[in-house]
Amino acid sequence: MNPFEHLRIAFDALLANKIRAFLTMLGVIIGVASVIMLVAIGEGAQTYIRKELMGIGTNLLIIVPGKTETTGMGRMPSGIQKITIADLRALEKRATLLNGLSAVVVSNAPVKYQNRLRNVQIIGTDQNFEQVRNLHAEIGSFISKADVDAQRRVAVIGRTVRKELFGEANPLGRTVKIGETKFRVIGIMESKGVTLGMDIDDHVFIPVETAQEIFDQDGLTNILTQAINENTIERAKDQIKAIMMQRHAGEEDFTIISQQAMLSTMQTILTTFTYVLGGIASISLLVGGIGIMNIMLVSVRERTREIGLRKAIGASQRDILLQFVIESVTLSVIGGIIGILFGAGVAYGAKAAFPVLPVDVSAWSVALAFTFAFFVGAFFGIYPAMKAARLNPIEALRYE
Amino acid sequence: MSDAPLIQLDDVTKVFVTGAIRYEVLKDISIEVRRGEYIALIGASGSGKSTLLNILGCLDVPTSGHYRLEGEEISAKSDTEMAHIRNRFFGFVFQSFNLLGRYTVAENVALPMVYHGLGRRERLDKAKALLTRVGLGEFTGHYPSELSGGMQQRVAIARALANNPAVLFADEPTGNLDSKTGTEIISLFEQLNAEGTTLVVVTHDARVAQHARRVLTLADGRMLTDKQNSIAELTGA
Repeated sequence: MNPFEHLRIAFDALLANKIRAFLTMLGVIIGVASVIMLVAIGEGAQTYIRKELMGIGTNLLIIVPGKTETTGMGRMPSGIQKITIADLRALEKRATLLNGLSAVVVSNAPVKYQNRLRNVQIIGTDQNFEQVRNLHAEIGSFISKADVDAQRRVAVIGRTVRKELFGEANPLGRTVKIGETKFRVIGIMESKGVTLGMDIDDHVFIPVETAQEIFDQDGLTNILTQAINENTIERAKDQIKAIMMQRHAGEEDFTIISQQAMLSTMQTILTTFTYVLGGIASISLLVGGIGIMNIMLVSVRERTREIGLRKAIGASQRDILLQFVIESVTLSVIGGIIGILFGAGVAYGAKAAFPVLPVDVSAWSVALAFTFAFFVGAFFGIYPAMKAARLNPIEALRYE
Repeated sequence: MSDAPLIQLDDVTKVFVTGAIRYEVLKDISIEVRRGEYIALIGASGSGKSTLLNILGCLDVPTSGHYRLEGEEISAKSDTEMAHIRNRFFGFVFQSFNLLGRYTVAENVALPMVYHGLGRRERLDKAKALLTRVGLGEFTGHYPSELSGGMQQRVAIARALANNPAVLFADEPTGNLDSKTGTEIISLFEQLNAEGTTLVVVTHDARVAQHARRVLTLADGRMLTDKQNSIAELTGA
């Protein structure tokens, strides 16, 4: 008997009970849709973070005080020798594989202009910051070497700070107060928006030594630098390590974080996150499968006489088995298709509503959800179908 | 081949075991069914006549003994082969008509042809011809629930004839019908037998037994009598 006939029988049976068929499918629809949606969100987050990290420069290296074993962004703050501008000077002089070094001191302080006040992250840095971090002043100019050397009280403000403090007025040449100290605004940064949860536009940049002075710090929060190219990242790290250890009495009391390491750490975290989400969603697909099995068992019982009759007129066990398995697979596959369309619809709807969230329905999640739906139907259909196939035709025909 | 009986049973027994109790439903039954016969199987309830019909129709297998179909032993056939035999050689009519409500009358009649491997168009054309033969040519597109009991049983008979079976088996075909429609079914059987269909009918209905050419009486799983109805009896009835 050709398989097309089995398919026709399955469709006839499902169409005879449309509401029940739909409700049974609903379990699979919800399961598949949530797999598609959650994986889309997970993958979207991954794409987003990757893009953000790429944005901070591929060859970026960050030297932070304290030794941490794990790669990534964690750090231990206290009890170790500080990283200083002297360290930076030594690296500048001796390291050959680095392209620019920038000192960074980070602190928080209220910034005040006339009667407006805003708490902002203050970044003390130097003229190399623009190049190393790939962030530039859009209007006016960034901090110069002369500003740093002379410990001038000049500030470059971010977009958000400008808007909050000045509104539409031109801030160039105006004086703001950071803490109790007056600074002259010399530039406005280009807009970069939110990166890794930090609003780059909500910063104020001042010369590094000025920052050390007003915040009373002699160390640096970190040193930013760049390897000459991607292939020299590891060697550049070794070089930094050697120079720094020599200066720190042989102690490796600092950590060199590379953008690559952050990337791979984030990637690992987010991949796990995606799998976990997908796994949770798969459970609902499994529940959908149990729903199919349940309804198929009811259906086999209801159609006992039909099964007896079909056997009497020439259906073999195999024919009956196929009839019911195809019926349950049809349920799960149609449910799967609707679920994919629904899940993708919601994912792209979310993208349209919140453009920041780069959700993307990946081909592999669609293929996986579909295959999974297919096998759920086959797996949960086989037991009821076997029950049907093994019915004794005489007893089945007598069944009331 | 032409000499061999269509069906030959030798010393067939059937035993059902329920828990510790053994029921010997059929004891040493030996019969032959020849082409063109019209056999009535009668006997009290529990005499084993339905079991015998099921064994003859390959819906059930004997506990011991031999079953030859056109001279070929079939007791060791697989499920698929038995299904094939039921499909090609036999047609069944039941007391409750067992039509599928979600299919039209024509689709019900065409059902055995699905398992025979015929295409849909061919099936429905044949089904229509069969329905015409049982007098229901105009009802092909109706659903079973729209027909009377007598009409439904005729649809079931048309379905039983779908693959030109060698034997048509009927188990109490008039049991659910009033006497008038019962008579219609009886005359339809007469007509089919006259056209060459072999019939084996299990019945309580004396009228059916009267119209059969041969009457087998079972009692307690044994063959009590096997007698040919004389022409005189047939015409006299």
